[in-house]
Amino acid sequence: MTYAVTEACIRCKYTDCVEVCPVDCFYEGENMLVIHPDECIDCGVCEPECPEEAIVPDTEPNTEQWVALNQKYSEIWPNITERKDPPADADVWSGKPDKMDYISPSPAST
Amino acid sequence: MNEMPVKDVTALTANDFGSDQEVRWCPGCGDYAILKAMKTVLADIGRSPDDIVFVAGIGCAARFPYYLSTYGFHTIHGRAAAVATGVKLANPELDVWVVGGDGDFMSIGGNHTLHALRRNVDINLLLFNNAIYGLTKGQYSPTSPVGTRSPSTPGGSVEAPVNAVRFALGAGARFVARAADTLQTHLPGVLKRAHANKGASFVEILQNCLVYNDGAFGAINDRSQSHEATVRLEHGQPMVFGKEEDKGLVFNNETGAFEVVTLADLKSEDTIAIHDETNFVRAQALAELEQPGFPVPLGVIYAEAATEFVEARGFSGTKSKWGREELKSLI
Ligand SMILES: Cc1ncc(C[n+]2csc(CCOP(=O)(O)OP(=O)(O)O)c2C)c(N)n1
Ligand code: SF4
Ligand code: SF4
Ligand code: SF4
Ligand SMILES: [Mg+2]
Repeated sequence: MTYAVTEACIRCKYTDCVEVCPVDCFYEGENMLVIHPDECIDCGVCEPECPEEAIVPDTEPNTEQWVALNQKYSEIWPNITERKDPPADADVWSGKPDKMDYISPSPAST
Repeated sequence: MNEMPVKDVTALTANDFGSDQEVRWCPGCGDYAILKAMKTVLADIGRSPDDIVFVAGIGCAARFPYYLSTYGFHTIHGRAAAVATGVKLANPELDVWVVGGDGDFMSIGGNHTLHALRRNVDINLLLFNNAIYGLTKGQYSPTSPVGTRSPSTPGGSVEAPVNAVRFALGAGARFVARAADTLQTHLPGVLKRAHANKGASFVEILQNCLVYNDGAFGAINDRSQSHEATVRLEHGQPMVFGKEEDKGLVFNNETGAFEVVTLADLKSEDTIAIHDETNFVRAQALAELEQPGFPVPLGVIYAEAATEFVEARGFSGTKSKWGREELKSLI
């Protein structure tokens, strides 16, 4: 199994999750994070940390698409191991539904 | 009992070794990391789940067998090594793993750990050392450092802690290794070596208890700092460490102890020690290296080829030569 980041993270990217992950398996895109499904140890500690409730275990129904998205981007985006400030307009996008249209496939600029 | 579907065991994946049980460790517990590594290792070893048994005592660590699709045995606190010995002798064809915490293996089960190691029965003992009693809510354990404040040591522990590697070497273990929970590129290799060893294999896995002893191993299992706090042992390789591999260990023949040097300052008469896992004296010196001041050795510290118990006793085949009838004739 694994945990996966869903669209609720898009343009919010608070990175609270990164701080707690014991195996540093978050990867950073321009406006979203993903979890590497092969590296995640299923410890669940990140799930309640996310203010957007963006992180779900794959044991929940209809999570296949999110796992696939996490798998895909974790292989091309850079690893993020430390918390950073969220985007300036994060609060504007907080809680907005259906953010998939806004996902950026670009890796984070480091 | 259901018939096991015949499946090509070489095609089993890590997920095939997981069970349907809900994992009951606290979120963030280091035990999850060990479970993850173990499933990968079992898939790589390529034996069928019904040829494998995990035996555990009592504790958070000891819940391990529930989460695997292999056979499992949740026994009595401290007694897992004794039960595992019986399992292995009854059916030497099985792969037998023993899992326990520092309370399970080093306090109540200390004597069973000792005898399993010196007997050299072909079982793999994995000590999940979090330096605390996790399941019973945070009392100090035999591996807790001096000064540990806990419900049972409110003024701080004053006892000298057990160094598990030193204990195993003293008990006569022929295979002694150390690893850390979150170092997922390192831990599986150590588990595979333990499995490959014929005889009792002892692996101390430094495990973070997020709830009652968070950060007990400091930088060791913090992946960003681990290279400064540990030295990764490879047989036949120089003992260098640090992110930039800029430090190393020199063996001082005078004191019989290792010293840390910066490679840039290495004196011409000194050489970086080469790890020889068959050298018992060096293994003892490695066991003494602790933080702060020294990098903690991870990997196979000591491995000596020796005849394991079943072969030494002259048992053969899948069953002991002492069948039921022979046993009856003895009484
Ligand atoms: C005979 C007996 N004595 C005491 C206990 C209470 N007890 C349960 S688990 C445990 C220690 C747990 O610590 P450890 O073995 O380090 O495992 P952890 O929970 O830290 O993984 C104790 C003392 C018991 N279950 N049985
Ligand atoms: S805490 Fe939640 S919203 Fe923030 S980066 Fe992590 S997953 Fe995205
Ligand atoms: S479940 Fe644990 S290992 Fe997986 S991403 Fe979250 S914190 Fe990291
Ligand atoms: S109490 Fe500690 S060792 Fe036990 S499950 Fe929780 S975090 Fe893990
Ligand atoms: Mg313990």
